[in-house]
Amino acid sequence: MDAADEIIHQPVRLRIMAALTALPADDEGLDFVRLKSLTGATDGNLGAHIDHLTRAAYVEVSKAFVGRRPRTTVKVSPEGRAAFQRHVLFLKSIIAAG
Amino acid sequence: MTIDPQQASAMLADVDSVVARVKQSRIYRRSGDIFIMWGALHVLRHVLFPLLPIFAQGGWVLLDLVGIAATLLMLRGAQGFGQRSGWRWIALYILFYGFGYVWSDVIGGMRERQLIAFWPTLFQFGYAVAGLWFGWAFLVIGLGAAGATVGAYLLWPSESYGLAITLINAGALVAAGLWMRRA
Repeated sequence: MDAADEIIHQPVRLRIMAALTALPADDEGLDFVRLKSLTGATDGNLGAHIDHLTRAAYVEVSKAFVGRRPRTTVKVSPEGRAAFQRHVLFLKSIIAAG
Repeated sequence: MTIDPQQASAMLADVDSVVARVKQSRIYRRSGDIFIMWGALHVLRHVLFPLLPIFAQGGWVLLDLVGIAATLLMLRGAQGFGQRSGWRWIALYILFYGFGYVWSDVIGGMRERQLIAFWPTLFQFGYAVAGLWFGWAFLVIGLGAAGATVGAYLLWPSESYGLAITLINAGALVAAGLWMRRA
């Protein structure tokens, strides 16, 4: 790979993708609150970045109610996992070349 | 877009840090369920002992076996938990019980009050040691519960001493489990 993934490159989105790809492929994903604490983003900021990743089909979002509370869960798609791995390889190649 | 090696290195460090936090959180969550289950078993044991005499005659081994089997079931499917890890956990329990048995029954010659405090503190020491590998929460839980057990050993009156140790041990396990599930 000779170019960065423009979508994943942004720091908050990089952290979101890192967190989601750290889970096994059959995992249910991470909820919004947990992602917020892992990325250090605000609600609005995180929501905007998740929308961006959803439009790229890198993540899938599901909403459900747990008791009376709404719960948003984000899961990485196979395309997103592959794109993240390519981006990490790209970053490693820069370090190796430098 | 141009990225220099320093920026790339910083990004990869960021990725590694997030991945480590996710993995630790998964360990905490699963361990939290296991801690809560053992806390409930301790209370159950204290309730069963007076009600069913068989549990006072070594039937506690049965409850521990139930606990170990449930622990292995809960660990099944955990990331990096294969058949080898399963046997490692069983070996760990055998080593701890073996060590405890040798000191409590063969060498120690402990009185009942000491014996009641010995077994929980042995396992609490184990949690503290686990903290060196799996995260500081285990260290805090192990040392905190051991401190409370030793405090009860020194200060608690004899009549309700057994119940106090059970409640400290079970309470510490359940509270730690709930805390770890939220971590």
